[in-house]
Amino acid sequence: MNNSGKERKSCLSNRARLLLSTTAVTLLGWGNVALAEAPSDGRIGYVLTYKNYAVYETQELTECPDGLNGGPRELYSREFPDDGTVRTVVETQLKREGRNWHPATSESPFTLHQPQGNTAYGADLDGKVGPNDFESPEGEQGIDNQLYRAIGCTMNYRAAGSLRHFINVFMWRYNNNRWVIELTDVDDLTNDDEVTVTTYRGLDRLLADATGEGFVPGGTQRVDMRWGQEFIQQVQGKIVDGALVTEPMDQIKIPWGSTFNTNGYKFFRGLRFKLDLTPETAKGLLVGYEDVDMFNLHVNTTWSTHHQSYGQESSSLHYPALRQLADGYPDPETGTNTAISMALEVNLTQTYVMHPSEEQTQAGLSSK
Amino acid sequence: MITASYSFASISSKTALLAVIVAAHTNVAASSPRASGYWQSPSSSVMEEYIEVPLPSGFQVLVTELEGPVFADANGRTLYNWELKDLRNGSTGDRKDGDSQCTNEVLRVTSGLMSPYPGDLLLPNLNQRPSCVDVWPPALAAEGSEPVGKWTLVDREDGSEQWSYDGYPLYVSSLDQQPGDTLGGTKIDSAGDAPAVRVPVGPPSAIPPLFQIVPMATGRMLITEDRYSVYSWEGDEPNKSNCFDSCLTAWTPVMAPLTAVEQGSWTVVERSPGIGQWAFRGKPLYNYDDDPSTVSLIGSNMPGWQNVYTQRAVFPPEGFTVQASRIGEVLADVNGKTIYLYNCSDDAVDQLACDHPDTDQEYRLAICGNGDPELCRTTFPYVNAPTNASSESRLWRAMTINRNTGYRASEGEADALSVWAYRGRPVFTYTGDREAGDANGDAFGEFNGYRNGFKAFWLRDDFMTNAYTR
Repeated sequence: MNNSGKERKSCLSNRARLLLSTTAVTLLGWGNVALAEAPSDGRIGYVLTYKNYAVYETQELTECPDGLNGGPRELYSREFPDDGTVRTVVETQLKREGRNWHPATSESPFTLHQPQGNTAYGADLDGKVGPNDFESPEGEQGIDNQLYRAIGCTMNYRAAGSLRHFINVFMWRYNNNRWVIELTDVDDLTNDDEVTVTTYRGLDRLLADATGEGFVPGGTQRVDMRWGQEFIQQVQGKIVDGALVTEPMDQIKIPWGSTFNTNGYKFFRGLRFKLDLTPETAKGLLVGYEDVDMFNLHVNTTWSTHHQSYGQESSSLHYPALRQLADGYPDPETGTNTAISMALEVNLTQTYVMHPSEEQTQAGLSSK
Repeated sequence: MITASYSFASISSKTALLAVIVAAHTNVAASSPRASGYWQSPSSSVMEEYIEVPLPSGFQVLVTELEGPVFADANGRTLYNWELKDLRNGSTGDRKDGDSQCTNEVLRVTSGLMSPYPGDLLLPNLNQRPSCVDVWPPALAAEGSEPVGKWTLVDREDGSEQWSYDGYPLYVSSLDQQPGDTLGGTKIDSAGDAPAVRVPVGPPSAIPPLFQIVPMATGRMLITEDRYSVYSWEGDEPNKSNCFDSCLTAWTPVMAPLTAVEQGSWTVVERSPGIGQWAFRGKPLYNYDDDPSTVSLIGSNMPGWQNVYTQRAVFPPEGFTVQASRIGEVLADVNGKTIYLYNCSDDAVDQLACDHPDTDQEYRLAICGNGDPELCRTTFPYVNAPTNASSESRLWRAMTINRNTGYRASEGEADALSVWAYRGRPVFTYTGDREAGDANGDAFGEFNGYRNGFKAFWLRDDFMTNAYTR
């Protein structure tokens, strides 16, 4: 943070602040031009409007020379070919379901196809350039993204994968998935050497354009202080040339349910933000490590075997690779890595974060 | 795709290096069921009223704890129907105004109605497998019976006649032992990929046409025809509304048309000359303007305001608690660990249940232990019941289980487990829940826990429909 103005408090009403900030942004043309001065009250919020794992892929599928992986239907057919054998529920369906929910680390009868190239999105998380690291498409060395090896040749995680679409559809539709970040102590949205980033779950629908799938700034999100406390985290960061970077957060949960009455979350370790900021958007990467067991539980409890079949994803096929490729957060007793490096591509859209006290104030104002 | 290559190393040392959890502003804690407001006392006489309909001779209406009014035969056995349901690859069940699809045939193979697994797989324990009729005996009509009202007769293949109500053949459940038992099924809505289940059938509820009832695990909740929740206010007086002026900025009276007729517990309160408001049991009714969705409990957060029920289930046994969780509240054990219910139906055309200890245990063992009973007990432990366990709610009973097979233990069986059961099915906790209020085992199993798996015992869900689906 800059030393000047940290204690400055606006004496404007919320409505006046909103009007002034809207006017300022309008004058700047809503383009990719960062505010050269502090957002109102040193605060700006963003709400998550797009998320997916960052998966590098080519049209020619050169990164997957062995082809894409088979999913539950394909693996079932390979394991139990339609050759006239009379089979039982127990030795087929329940055997495969049992494997999904209690996956072994090595005994899968099938081999997972992994990307063979050395290009991946992500970040250098450990400050080292190791033999298993990738190079980013922009040429950065030392990219840690072992999750890409596990999922990069599975359709569900690629651009044409159905779940990449549904993950966002259900995030938009269900407010339990509303994830909000708020930057405070911001003196300058272009360069500020110390800002605070707090994450929350929001309670409200997204502000969408006429298509329903484009999101516009200026909405409001009330903070969920009743059920959403586990999603509240705080970390320090800085803004450099319009880009927010933060320290790693040791543990963080992000709400990440689907439809079907699911309410799961993602559990990350050492998560860092790498977001290009404008007054209306924050776009970029969340990089860090994801807990392997929670990844597997999340896949299975969010997407049934039927739904995993849409994109040829088999959780029991992935799990041994996730375990083998895990590269972070060793178990203190066994030394086995519990988490795997990864990168999420995200878009967030500016929103006004309404804390409970403000909520009450606004309610009071509106009732007069 | 945007990538950036900024260094993380130079952030000011003034700042803390580790993320911190922001101090909680509100308390998240367990509460006792009696303080929670979800249930009613066993001494309460509040039960749902119903509209009397013509009944065939020998049939009756019983008002049950969870399901409200249901039809029962002369022995008090609840009547169920089995409405046709679309599954992933087809449908099964009885068609309206059609014959019964529940037969004496012992089915041997799966139907393939639920993907991704193919049909024609041999079902477990075929030498012991019952037929549909063994589990769901048809409600047979005595010779010479005649249709009455919505009660009609359908012919069965063996020449007998079966009672049908509103076009659907009726059955009793082999699980129901006492008059008023409803162990065979529930009126709580079936989730999308749940099996084609049997549902208790009863007379229409005595409510004005403007209203509906949502069956929930804790009671039968009133909503309006557009499915918005209905609330009452402690500030009102019997059949008199005190909600005016600023009160009306958040609460909208449920208006009664001029043609409204008072009946039973339903009255019309005159707010101003010619303007009527519905009242139930003397309490004027309102919608909450800030409810973000239908079938909501959010308005009950406001002091003095409550959702309205025609009747509620009775308190769970001592030792259970109510715990705040990620999307609402769950029933929990004494340590705050979330309680789970196990759902199961096989994929044969007759969709027989496999969710209780008298049915095939292979399904449950696959999900909770990959076939290993010990791993199963570790992953989803039973909730132990004390030796002197008792419950004021008839929905809860202690039962003894063979710890290895999962089947009901024989009388005097050594090393059997005494466990709590809800509606005749054992309940569980999940080893992956590490803190009170975690519900990490929710949706664990086939089709998100609805088909062969575990669902948390949701009492309240402010975001989705967990509190009123099964």
